[in-house]
Amino acid sequence: MTNIENLIISIVAIVVAPILGGLLTGLDRKIAARMQNRIGPPILQPFYDVFKLLGKEGITVNQTQMAYVLGYLLFAISALIMLVLRQDLLMLIFILTFSNICLIMGAMSVRSPYGKIGAQREIIQMMAYEPVLILMIVGVYLTTGSFLISSIFKFESPLLFNLPLVFLAFLFVLTIKLRKSPFDFSTSHHAHQELIKGLTTEYSGPQLALIEITHWYDLVLLLGMISLFFAKPIWVGILIAFVSYFLEIVVDNISARMTWKWMLRVTWLIAVGAAMTNIISLYMKK
Amino acid sequence: MEVNLLLAVAIFLPALAAILCYLVRNSAFRSFTIVISAIALALTALGFADIIGKHDGKIEIYMENMPFDIGLLIGFLDFVLLAYIVYTGVKLKKPLVVVLAVLQAVPLFIFEIMHKSEEQFPVFVIDYLSLIMLFLVSVIGPIILVFAMGYMKNHESHMHLKTSKQPRFFMILFVFLASMNALVTVNNLLWMYFFWEITTLCSFLLISHDKNAEAVKNATRALWINLLGGIAFVAAIIIISNAAGTLSIQDISSPNAGLFSTELLLGLALLCFAGFTKSAQFPFQSWLLGAMVAPTPVSALLHSSTMVKAGVYLIVRTAPAFYGTTLGNVVAMVGGFTFVAAAAIAISQSNGKRVLAYSTISNLGLIICCAGIGSQIALGAAMLLIIFHAISKGLLFLCIGTIEQGIGSRDIEDMQGLMKLMPFTTIITVIGMISMLLPPFGVLITKWLALEASVGQPVVLIMIVFGSAFTVVFWSKWIGIILTMSYKPKYIVEKLSVSIRISLILLLAGVLAASLLIGPLFKNTIEHQLDSYWFMDESILTADRGGVWIHDIYNNTIGGVESILFFLIILAIMIMIPYLIHKTKPANVKPPYLCGSNTDDPRGIEFISPKDKIDSVVVHNYYMKGFFGEKNLTLITNLIATAFILIMFGVVTL
Repeated sequence: MTNIENLIISIVAIVVAPILGGLLTGLDRKIAARMQNRIGPPILQPFYDVFKLLGKEGITVNQTQMAYVLGYLLFAISALIMLVLRQDLLMLIFILTFSNICLIMGAMSVRSPYGKIGAQREIIQMMAYEPVLILMIVGVYLTTGSFLISSIFKFESPLLFNLPLVFLAFLFVLTIKLRKSPFDFSTSHHAHQELIKGLTTEYSGPQLALIEITHWYDLVLLLGMISLFFAKPIWVGILIAFVSYFLEIVVDNISARMTWKWMLRVTWLIAVGAAMTNIISLYMKK
Repeated sequence: MEVNLLLAVAIFLPALAAILCYLVRNSAFRSFTIVISAIALALTALGFADIIGKHDGKIEIYMENMPFDIGLLIGFLDFVLLAYIVYTGVKLKKPLVVVLAVLQAVPLFIFEIMHKSEEQFPVFVIDYLSLIMLFLVSVIGPIILVFAMGYMKNHESHMHLKTSKQPRFFMILFVFLASMNALVTVNNLLWMYFFWEITTLCSFLLISHDKNAEAVKNATRALWINLLGGIAFVAAIIIISNAAGTLSIQDISSPNAGLFSTELLLGLALLCFAGFTKSAQFPFQSWLLGAMVAPTPVSALLHSSTMVKAGVYLIVRTAPAFYGTTLGNVVAMVGGFTFVAAAAIAISQSNGKRVLAYSTISNLGLIICCAGIGSQIALGAAMLLIIFHAISKGLLFLCIGTIEQGIGSRDIEDMQGLMKLMPFTTIITVIGMISMLLPPFGVLITKWLALEASVGQPVVLIMIVFGSAFTVVFWSKWIGIILTMSYKPKYIVEKLSVSIRISLILLLAGVLAASLLIGPLFKNTIEHQLDSYWFMDESILTADRGGVWIHDIYNNTIGGVESILFFLIILAIMIMIPYLIHKTKPANVKPPYLCGSNTDDPRGIEFISPKDKIDSVVVHNYYMKGFFGEKNLTLITNLIATAFILIMFGVVTL
């Protein structure tokens, strides 16, 4: 691929991803509302919200907050670019970690108890899901012999057939990564959070809008990673990604929030256990 | 001949400086000596870098036509050293120290009498691995000494000493550097043992420097644990001499040397054991944690370029000999286990220095783990991590020393709002911490390489996976605390002495340069070193386009990253911060929401609670002591680590 081609793909991804992410978020809210017997907001509501936030006055709690928000956004975009340019999957995860750390630092930089405790919980959530993400990539390596995303597309059979348990483990941690119930400790989509809005309590106006946009990028990135499990033909993968997202919404609506201790135990036991089982069997087969 | 001169400077210049520092008790003269030696040592390291390229990456120095037998002299000095340790043991009333020293002296004495070596092998061998170590010792070491000039002045004024103990202090530091320079270049195992024991003794003297009860107690523990390693070293010398008929490190560490002789493998296992004690691997970690009582420059030196790096140097040096053997696999497990266990315990620590100590132990574990895996990628990762860890950790210790003298505490919780009190130090500290865990800095690149290298060993893999997750937790908690800002901070300019300021800036420049130039750094040193080993690997590591890349046997790229883009993003954010601070209108800065109306408190932590009482908010980090506390984990992790070490000896003897 030439550089020009890469540039065009990146720009398309940067433009399309938030639109897609925003629409999916709108759908999420609509479906959730229907599950709760409400009519729900219009599908485009997330965009209305963000545009309104962008137009608000730039109130801040300290002068450095904006820098963290930008870090959160820019590194999330970098991770997405790495995905569409089919680069090293493991490095992608590390870049994504940096993005998330920026969000945490922003929340910790204020002297707000809600923001700080939200940040602590977010750190614990990272600790829970990161091993699974890395194990997923190891599974990809053991299957395709490479860490590059491009090799997944070159591989003849879908990853899902070789990595069924890893796929399930990934779905499990997706709930944590998307901060959905029962793992919405750090900040919640629903209005019953004892931490106000946790991690994002002290953000308002344009900063909050940027955080919302970053969430959309994250969502598209994660769904993109799901579709890697069925990269040939890719439309099946995308379909699987949408079905998975629907499952997430269902789980979000039928479960209550648990504690972080429970999350650590369950994630490390079940998700890591499942992923390791899969990886060890691949290793034995070699 | 040029080489001989450089080597003589590298070893004898610090020794001379040590004598000068001790004899001339004048602080201006001492500062002069330190600065001049620092510059001279750095130039020597550069000289080596220049010469080694002209010699195809390996310089061998023979010592013939010497007026007297240096081997005999070193043998004699061995016993002087051990006698001094015995004397120390008697003075401290510690029978254990005496017994351990005697247990080394007796076999060593018998060996020296029986051992008649006619064979000729180079006394010093300098290759790229030695060059890397020489650079760390001769550049980072002196920078820490420069820092110590300013630090010790404050330190002694806090202690209200009548006569300064600085002459003795700097003497020992210089002796330390001299013996480290010798240790990483010498090719005779018996001679290496001598320098190995000097570092043990020096660390004892430095840890006990303040002479209070705790310092003496911890120093004694460091002494006896390292003497255990010394015994293993002596045993290794005897066994290897029998098995291989040579004490040339070059020969015994040649690739696959251990495949054909179980006896040699046992010797190598003993050397690894010695390395574990020196590098404070579980279950020997307690001495390095106790070493925290020493003045901060000592910690910085022990943790970055000297002492603990001697242990990993020995293991990485001999790693090609046991590559692919069961011994290699078990060494990887010992290292991997230390990596994950130390990182887990670090989560529960609120004492900043202890967090740094556990982080050091953890990273040394990763280096040893990579050496045990022994493939080309793994050894490359090990050497890169030696470099990056030394620079970053050196910097961080100097930072925490400065912070401690600034705020009078080393507790992480006391560092809230540090940005306001010590902006200069805070920014450098944060960059140092980020360099330990986030992309695109070098330490993370090595973690990534370690993961990619360990996919063939599920047990090691799962340890590294969890270890890196824990690492992110304890660093990000700490960074968050440091970056906490009052909502209307007033900036003040810190008062720091010139020596502290200069050394912090130099090391910060080192951290940034090493990570930015990882490509050339790898290409010009480590790649040559790896090429000199004979490998049958599935994948190889190269440097190109400003990053490092992994290729498979068909030369397809299977992993890698260009780091420059991400540096640009970080740079953009860093420039953004001062701009934002300047641009934000004071009227737009509001106090945080505290579930009650805020008061006029500029810190923004006071609020009006029921009955108009003014309360202030206190938020602490999570330390998860129930999960990761030292009490919960130390015993069980020590037992598991001991089991791993027993398994290591099991696989080479049974």
